[in-house]
Amino acid sequence: MDILTKNWDKIDPLRIDSYTRTGGYGALRKAIREMDPEKVVAEIKMSGLRGRGGAGFPTGEKWGMAAKTPAKEKYFICNLDESEPGVHKDRAIAEKNPHQIIEGILIGAAAVGAKKAFIYINGNYQKQKEILEIALEQAREKELVGKSVMGSAFKVEIVIFEGAGAYICGEETALLSSIEGKRGEPRLKPPYPPVAGLFGKPTIVNNAETLANIPFIIKQGAKTFSQIGSSASPGTKLFVLEGAVRNRGIHEAPLGITAQELIYNSLYGGGMASGKEFWFAQIGGASGRLAPAGKLDQSLSYGPGEFPLGCGSILVVDKSADIKDLLFSWADFFHRESCGKCLPCREGTYRLWEIAKRIKNNDVSKRDKENIEEILWTLSNTTFCPLGNFAAVAWKDAMRMFSDKIFN
Amino acid sequence: MSLQKILLNFEPRPENLLAVLKKTQKENKYIGKKECEVIADYFSLPLARVYSFASFFDGIRTKKDDKKIIKICSGGPCLSENSKKVARQIEMFLGVEVGNDIHSKYRLEYMSCLGLCDRGPIVEIEGNIFERVKPETVDDILKNYL
Ligand SMILES: Cc1cc2nc3c(=O)[nH]c(=O)nc-3n(C[C@H](O)[C@H](O)[C@H](O)COP(=O)(O)O)c2cc1C
Ligand code: SF4
Ligand code: FES
Repeated sequence: MDILTKNWDKIDPLRIDSYTRTGGYGALRKAIREMDPEKVVAEIKMSGLRGRGGAGFPTGEKWGMAAKTPAKEKYFICNLDESEPGVHKDRAIAEKNPHQIIEGILIGAAAVGAKKAFIYINGNYQKQKEILEIALEQAREKELVGKSVMGSAFKVEIVIFEGAGAYICGEETALLSSIEGKRGEPRLKPPYPPVAGLFGKPTIVNNAETLANIPFIIKQGAKTFSQIGSSASPGTKLFVLEGAVRNRGIHEAPLGITAQELIYNSLYGGGMASGKEFWFAQIGGASGRLAPAGKLDQSLSYGPGEFPLGCGSILVVDKSADIKDLLFSWADFFHRESCGKCLPCREGTYRLWEIAKRIKNNDVSKRDKENIEEILWTLSNTTFCPLGNFAAVAWKDAMRMFSDKIFN
Repeated sequence: MSLQKILLNFEPRPENLLAVLKKTQKENKYIGKKECEVIADYFSLPLARVYSFASFFDGIRTKKDDKKIIKICSGGPCLSENSKKVARQIEMFLGVEVGNDIHSKYRLEYMSCLGLCDRGPIVEIEGNIFERVKPETVDDILKNYL
């Protein structure tokens, strides 16, 4: 069942007609003409859609919170900051079917009563930004964005906000700060953005993939959607397969699928690349856990589980890889991306990175070994935002599973 | 384009601050104290706020830097496409180690994933991005740009 990728490569992303011909903006019409905002929120709640940005928060509940909060101004933000190593699914949606995201934003903005929306895009995604700009321009011409959407009383403006290379700005409150012209440091929650977000106003932040699901749900109904995928988290997901697998890249699959199937089924990964022997898989980007062969049979969905799905990328590592290189890769990323607001993460990621260099050069000391445990504990338990926890996830698994290879 | 002219294209609202910095950097290569002062004035913000904002982002430079900058992605997916060998080759060609800022003309650094993981290894030279770089081809790429 394809929801997100159905028309990829069939439609021309630069021509809005090409999207409307496949029924595009029909869901917006239905949401505006046939449903009231409460009905739209109720429908999304009923669908069971959960956010695809990593945390898996129920989208309908989030919208309901913002819709209920009285305010003259509200904001709606599409999070397209995507900068987790190994993840490029949102880039693909923007590139292949930009109107799917825009339609999702419009339906969401109408449902919560937001008159201004932002698409917060990763600063490296220049080509995708241009595609979205063209798409927005065409949507304005067709009066789908602007003073009177489809001739109704609903008015909304959508602008693109370009990031400048900071992973932490994908975290929703850091994202809001950076739009406000402040350092992209996370804020204390609560208040949650749907209650007090951008400039203190109720704000929805949704991942681009989450929003791309909205038109389908409104058009086909919550019931149809909720029957796809797993009951705890319905729908499909864009999985990104990287590393030593035959078919690398993006694969749409129902939630609840196992990593085993994603990697080995010919519909998806198609097995290991020739000559490569499976060692372990990292599930959920650089902040994901490591799964050995015996654990690939667990189902991947949002909800309780041993291997959180995160943003849905899977790095398949084969036996020729050197775990020391990977430890460095993870530490290098998180030490650069730590925002510096809290000490345990700022110092912890830095020290871990220094130790990673020594591990790589085979001159790790006894003190280093002792310190690793302490640093990982501190990162997991005392940091201000989840980035600090993320930095420790893969390292903890690696220490447990491969310490003989790390300290040989 | 002068900074004054750039500013005229933007309303002095906080949500335009990052866009102004990016545009200024494009013209000016970096955003120094002088630029920060003019921008702070235009947005009616304290200078410290503008400077601390500008210095936060990897994509904004707050110091003049005449060195040519070469970056290589340190992400896991690029690693599995042999970025390690590419890094070794660049180190040999330039005669400087990654992260070791001692060369008078070049600076070689690791960078975070650019989301081009399906086309790795990724190397960036003076803002130009190269995909699927191989140890055998990297010398030619470097010769063209340095
Ligand atoms: C360090 C960090 C980085 C994040 N990066 C992103 C990102 O690039 N894109 C994204 O959609 N969500 C990202 N998130 C999650 C957001 O905070 C937020 O939960 C999400 O955008 C909400 O949208 P959703 O409910 O549709 O998933 C990140 C979170 C953390 C802690
Ligand atoms: S955990 Fe890291 S990224 Fe998060 S607030 Fe602290 S320093 Fe910043
Ligand atoms: S890991 Fe190198 S571009 Fe993503």
